[in-house]
Amino acid sequence: MTHLTMEELVALRDGGSEPGSAAAQTHIEECARCSAELERLHQRVARLRALPTLRPSRDLWPRVDAARRRDRRRGRVRWAGLGGLALAASLAGVLAVGSFGEGAGAPVPALAGELTAVQQRSQTLEAMLTAYDPDARVTDGNTVRVAQALEERIAEVDQQLQVTELRADEPAQDAVLLDLWRERVGLLDALVDVHVTRASHVDF
Amino acid sequence: MDPSYVADADAVLARARSGDAAALEALFRAFEAPVYNLARRICRTTEDAEDVVQETFFEVCRSIRNYRGDGSIWGWIRSITASKALMRLRRNKYRDTDELDDQVTPMRREDTGLRMDLEAALERLGETSRAVVWLHDVEGYTHEEIAGMMGKTVSFSKSQLARAHARLRRWLGEEVPA
Repeated sequence: MTHLTMEELVALRDGGSEPGSAAAQTHIEECARCSAELERLHQRVARLRALPTLRPSRDLWPRVDAARRRDRRRGRVRWAGLGGLALAASLAGVLAVGSFGEGAGAPVPALAGELTAVQQRSQTLEAMLTAYDPDARVTDGNTVRVAQALEERIAEVDQQLQVTELRADEPAQDAVLLDLWRERVGLLDALVDVHVTRASHVDF
Repeated sequence: MDPSYVADADAVLARARSGDAAALEALFRAFEAPVYNLARRICRTTEDAEDVVQETFFEVCRSIRNYRGDGSIWGWIRSITASKALMRLRRNKYRDTDELDDQVTPMRREDTGLRMDLEAALERLGETSRAVVWLHDVEGYTHEEIAGMMGKTVSFSKSQLARAHARLRRWLGEEVPA
């Protein structure tokens, strides 16, 4: 008598509809050996499923979180570098249109120039933080807490900047943008200080 | 937390989508054990499994905004884990140790009475066979899904599963007497 192969047994176990499965089903009903093989296959799979869940021997979240924060910071650099420039360009356009209508001598171009300068300062500070890579360094708990608070506030400012950017054609948004960019630079300055000098008390 | 239940799951997911660090950590804590278990069952070393866990959750943090909630959150995270683990297998190009055994000693008579522990027998399987056994028999993936993830054919997945069970049967001393 030819017994079922393991492939046929596994196919039967899975309720397969492959060619020959009907013959295999007939065979299993008549062959005690193959029937026992199928039962052992079921039991083996049940034992596999009952194996204990393996767990990591150490906490892996800090490394995931550090990578996530690095990635988010890189995203901000990209945003400041590309979105920021686009923002500056669109704002400059808005201001140019405004100044055209108001005539020469309006204070708006000076505002645009100041905005560009603040954005450049922001990018410089972002680059410093990326080069410093604080996530890869050992810091005390207090420094981490202050840095996290600063990063969260920077994220909030970024959200406000994005919203304001979408309303750039509304009146008085240029001054709001400049204020937000100034605040962002102030926060980044503080963050650099925290990481470089390990300052534990920062007002923001 | 159990992967089948994240306390206040909808709220946690909503916060995680907005990048909330505490919510992302809550997701990590809920699923780190099953993610590690799946990674470790596929990868050869604990170091590789840990790397897969980190790569998986980094991806989760980056892509959680794109998770539309069509399937379960565990199903989504599990597919990322399996994909990362299989990618690592391909990258490391492990030598399948059971194939090596067969080449050196095609008829290992001593295996018949060895009665290995199931954990040890599973560990002894080659990387590919073990991955197929685990994904199909424990995680419940179909041969079509496994073939897709591995970049192989359905018949490859089926034959790997059958070979794996033939070896486990022998190593565990479960062969039915003729």
